[in-house]
Order: sequence, then C-alpha cells, then structure tokens
Amino acid sequence: MNSIIIGQYIPGNGFFYKLDPRTKIIAIFFLMISVFMLQTIVQLLIAIGIAVVILLIGRISLFKVVRGLKPIFILLVFTFIFQIALNTEGTVLSTATMHFNLYSIISAVLIFVLWRILLRFGKFKILLFLAFAFALYFNFRYITFQPDFYFFQLTIYEKGVEMSVFVVLRLLIIITLTTVLTLTTKPTDLTQGLERLMHPLKKIGFNSEDFALIISISLRYIPTIFDEAQKIMAAQASRGADFSEGKLKDKLKQIISLLVPMFIIAFMRSEELADAMESRNFVPGEKRTRINILRFSIIDIYTGLFTLACFAGTILVKVML
Amino acid sequence: MGIRFRNVSHEYSSYTKKTYKAIQDINLSIEGTNEFIALVGHTGSGKSTLAKHMNALMFPTDGSVEIFGSEVTKKRNKKIKYNDLRRQVGLVFQFPEYQLFEETVEKDIMFGPLNFKVDSEKAKTLAREALSLVGLDDSYLNRNPFNLSGGEKKRVSIAGILAIDPKVLVLDEPTSGLDPYGRQVLMNLFSDIHKKTNKSIIIITHDMDLVYRYFKRVIVLKDGELTFDGTPDKLFQSDIIEQNHLDLPNTVKALKQLNEKLNLNLDVYQKTPEAAAKEVRRVMKHE
Ligand SMILES: Nc1ncnc2c1ncn2[C@@H]1O[C@H](COP(=O)(O)OP(=O)(O)OP(=O)(O)O)[C@@H](O)[C@H]1O
Ligand SMILES: [Mg+2]
Repeated sequence: MNSIIIGQYIPGNGFFYKLDPRTKIIAIFFLMISVFMLQTIVQLLIAIGIAVVILLIGRISLFKVVRGLKPIFILLVFTFIFQIALNTEGTVLSTATMHFNLYSIISAVLIFVLWRILLRFGKFKILLFLAFAFALYFNFRYITFQPDFYFFQLTIYEKGVEMSVFVVLRLLIIITLTTVLTLTTKPTDLTQGLERLMHPLKKIGFNSEDFALIISISLRYIPTIFDEAQKIMAAQASRGADFSEGKLKDKLKQIISLLVPMFIIAFMRSEELADAMESRNFVPGEKRTRINILRFSIIDIYTGLFTLACFAGTILVKVML
Repeated sequence: MGIRFRNVSHEYSSYTKKTYKAIQDINLSIEGTNEFIALVGHTGSGKSTLAKHMNALMFPTDGSVEIFGSEVTKKRNKKIKYNDLRRQVGLVFQFPEYQLFEETVEKDIMFGPLNFKVDSEKAKTLAREALSLVGLDDSYLNRNPFNLSGGEKKRVSIAGILAIDPKVLVLDEPTSGLDPYGRQVLMNLFSDIHKKTNKSIIIITHDMDLVYRYFKRVIVLKDGELTFDGTPDKLFQSDIIEQNHLDLPNTVKALKQLNEKLNLNLDVYQKTPEAAAKEVRRVMKHE
C-alpha cells in the first residue's frame, strides 16, 4: 500500500512546493494540451527532455516517479500490445507465422515458470517482463514442429510500432506531469486552488466551495478508511476469516464481513464529523474566511512564462509543420 | 506449549515518517493454561501491538514468537497455518464495531466457528453457550447486533471469540466504555471462565483496581519495553508504579491518605473496599 505514489503528497521544500497551486494546475493543464498536440516521436522526445528538466528543477527524484508508474505499468503494456497488433497502416516491418503446437506450448509453459521463479530473486521486474514477452514471441515463431493446433500471421506494421511508442511516451509524460503536481501539492492546497479557479462557475450554478469541501473531506478520509479496513480485517481474521485463502463461497462471506463494518463505521464517522462541524458553527453556503490565503509570487510568473513558451512553441510547431 | 516471545521487536514503517519501534526486544513466556495476566502500560506503550503478535495477526520485524509450537518470524512460512494459530489464541478487539456485521446476534457469533469448519448445528449450540457465558439470555439471539447498546455489543463481540473456544484468550481493553457495574460483571465472568476451564486469559486494561483485585500476574510495558513481569502485590509495593506512569489502586491510595492524615499505621495493601474497611476496624480497635 505504501508504494502507491500517484495522488500522494510527500512533504518537501523544493521549487514546486513554493509554487501557488493555481499556477501549478493551470500550467499542468496547458502543458498537457501541448503534449496532445505533438505529432512526431522526435517532438515527444524533446518533451520528455523538458519533463526531466522539470523534475530536476523540482529536485524530484526520477526514481520516485518511476516507482509511481508501477501501478499503471500494465496499462502501458496493454496499450503497447494493442497498438502493435491492431494498427495496419504503413509499410510492413515483419511478418511471421505464430505456431501453436504441442512443443511450443510446452516450452511456453516452461518459459512462464522460469519467469515466475526469476521474479522471486530478480530486482528488475520490468526488464524481466520484457524478456519474458520477447521469449514468448520467439518461442511461438520458431518452434515449428507440425502439427499446429492453431496458427496465425502476426504482421507488424511500421505505423503500429510508431504509434505504440508514441502513445506510451505520451502517457509517460502526462503521468510524470500529474505526479509532479500531486507529489508537491498538499491535497488541501490542491482543492483550494481548484476552488479558486472554478469560482467563476458560480454564475452558472456550480458552487465551487461545496465542491472543494467535498473533495477535501474525501481526501482527508482516505487514509482513515484504509486504517479502519485494516483493523476490521484483523478483527475478522481473529475469527478465522482468512482473506488470502478459502473457497469462493467463503470468500464472499468474508468480503461481506469486511464491507458491512466499513459502511457502518463510515456512517458513524460522517455523523460525528457533521456534528463537530456544526458545533464549530459551520453553515453550508455561508461565506468563510481562510487560514492560508493563496498569493502569487515571482516564481509563479516565471512558471507562467515558461508554460506560455511551451504552449506557444507547440502551436507554432503544429502550424508550421 | 503456550506463547513465547524471543527478542521480539516490531517497527511500524510508513512512507513519510521515520520508522518507529512500537515494541522492543520483548522476552516473555505465557503458559497455555492457568494464566490470568493483566497487560498494562500508558497510552501508546505498545500493548495492542504486543497483543496482535500473540495470534500472528502481526509478524515481528525482529525476533520470533512461538505460538503453540509454531515459530512466527518476520517471513511468512508456508508450512504454518496462521489461521489455525488464531483458533488456539483468540483475540478480542477494543471496539465491537470492527467485527459485528451479521443481521442477527446468533449468526454473528456463529461466524467464527463456521470459519473453522464447525458444522452449523454445532456452531449454533456454541453460539448459544457463548452468549450465556457473557451474561446475555437467549432472547438476544435473534436481535440485530447494530441495535444493541455499547455494552451489549461488546459482550456479543466477546461471545464471538468465546464460541471459537480458543485455548488462550486475549482481550484488548474489554472493560472500557462500560459502566462500573458492567465492568465488575465482565471481570467476574472472565475470572469464572478462567477458573472453570483453566484457560489462559490475558487482559489489557488501564484499571488498576481490577488489576490488583483479580489478576495473578501483571506485565508492564513502558515505551515499548517490558519493564515488569510479576504479581500485582509485588508491582504495587514497588516504586515501579511511578516510573511507568501508572496509578495505584483506589483502596491503596485511600488507605495511604488515612495513614498520612490521621497518622495511622494501616497495612495499605488491601485489594477490596471490604478488606480495607476490615483493616481500618482492626487498627481502630487497637488504638
Ligand atoms: N498502524 C500503525 N502505524 C504506525 N504506528 C502505529 C500503528 N499502530 C500503532 N502505532 C504506534 O505504535 C505505538 C504503540 O501503539 P499501540 O496501539 O500498541 O499502543 P497501546 O499501548 O495499545 O495504546 P492504548 O492504551 O492507547 O491502546 C504508538 O505510539 C502508536 O502511535
Ligand atoms: Mg491499544
């Protein structure tokens, strides 16, 4: 659980911590639009260079961001595979018949087992996975003993490779950018920033203050709820509910034994919170003052200029090329 | 057999904070039968953490805990059925809200036995017996656990563990949140269960009156370290009390006051108000 970094604030005091959350939100918004406007891999590589520079300026360790990518690694892999397999534009790069016969399936199983075993010792899990994928590819391609149970043509097109690299790079940049935002901005600051930015929407009936309040309360309670879930699991495990093993039917019961107390405690907590807020004279919809008032400073201007430059640059590139 | 702690430490780690040792280098031996132990210590001293090691809900980050012959260490051992250890050592948590979930009290108490593959007829009988053990009659069987009072919920949650019939019973602050009478009743109940079945019972509590009156053995934790392990008599007569931020039992405190203010020579170590009164009468007669 501790490895989930997306959406997690880590205290620090680098450049991005001093930035006004509004600036960060707007900057990220425009940078993302820029990323979507890029059209070639070279442009994306330049953008990645810029993203790395941003990380360096903020003294955010690359390692932390890469670790944060772990949960979405699967998503990246799938995107990659789908793009390669389904895109049929451009020239043919390679075409090969994939053979599924007794021998290739047995050796595929062996490769799988080997992969799982190596996974236990290895530290480079991502590399290991890539090696596994390649091994499977060559396995089905070159073990050609007849008879095949099944075979198909795997044709890889130039455009497919290009697009898959493109999409993955794009996702990488976007995730890095959002990670910078969430890593360096307290959830409360983030919601306050959002609230201020969406304030004009009040004219069309959208109350940004209520919205911000809802978001900040939810964020505040996420760790609490994790904590409670662990306590409930411990209490039920003491009564023999084994969440890791057991048949499906038992599992269902055990999940219920977790969910019911979760809901009940959540309701209890929310009532307590409502009482506590009311007894401190909170009235929904009333105007409130702030402890921390957001203020722009010189670094916000720099950041704004930088963002503007990036954005204008991308538009220029798009128009010119 | 029983539970043996060997140099056990547990370090909570979290992402942002530095790691923090909740218990440190604990060596402790608890027999499988015939123990009646109070576990005391100031808030945050590591009592609950220690208790969770007794049924392998937590693994030590250092050292080992032997639970009825199974060695629990940092690493998960495939050969050990951790679930079975929880059948041997039952742990009741402080807040019943964390475990009640069924529509009826009966079903809720049956949850434990059913998890341990007791057939449902037997589980029903066990539920009924456990419920009467905690002092609630059969009319509660079909009630909704969420409509009970705090004290009743607490009893049902205790019954939920009793129905599993563990060899050792560990209770985390079972008397907190109860009225004084309910506290007495519950303590008498644990004392009865202990006498009848000879089960080892370990109770976490802050109530020194109860500790002095009921228990055979006291374990004191201070800042995660074990600072005392012995009889209540020895504990309250030593100066360990103040060093560990603990309080004296009310009877002892009252008798000490009498000695001071009235210049008497009472034997202050009396476990009950009745015994204290008797002692006062004895000394008064002499005067
Ligand atoms: N999940 C956790 N993560 C990090 N630290 C924890 C966690 N649980 C407990 N601690 C810390 O470990 C220490 C011991 O906690 P523990 O709950 O064992 O204390 P306790 O003696 O049971 O206290 P109390 O009398 O208040 O119940 C405390 O300082 C607490 O802050
Ligand atoms: Mg505790």
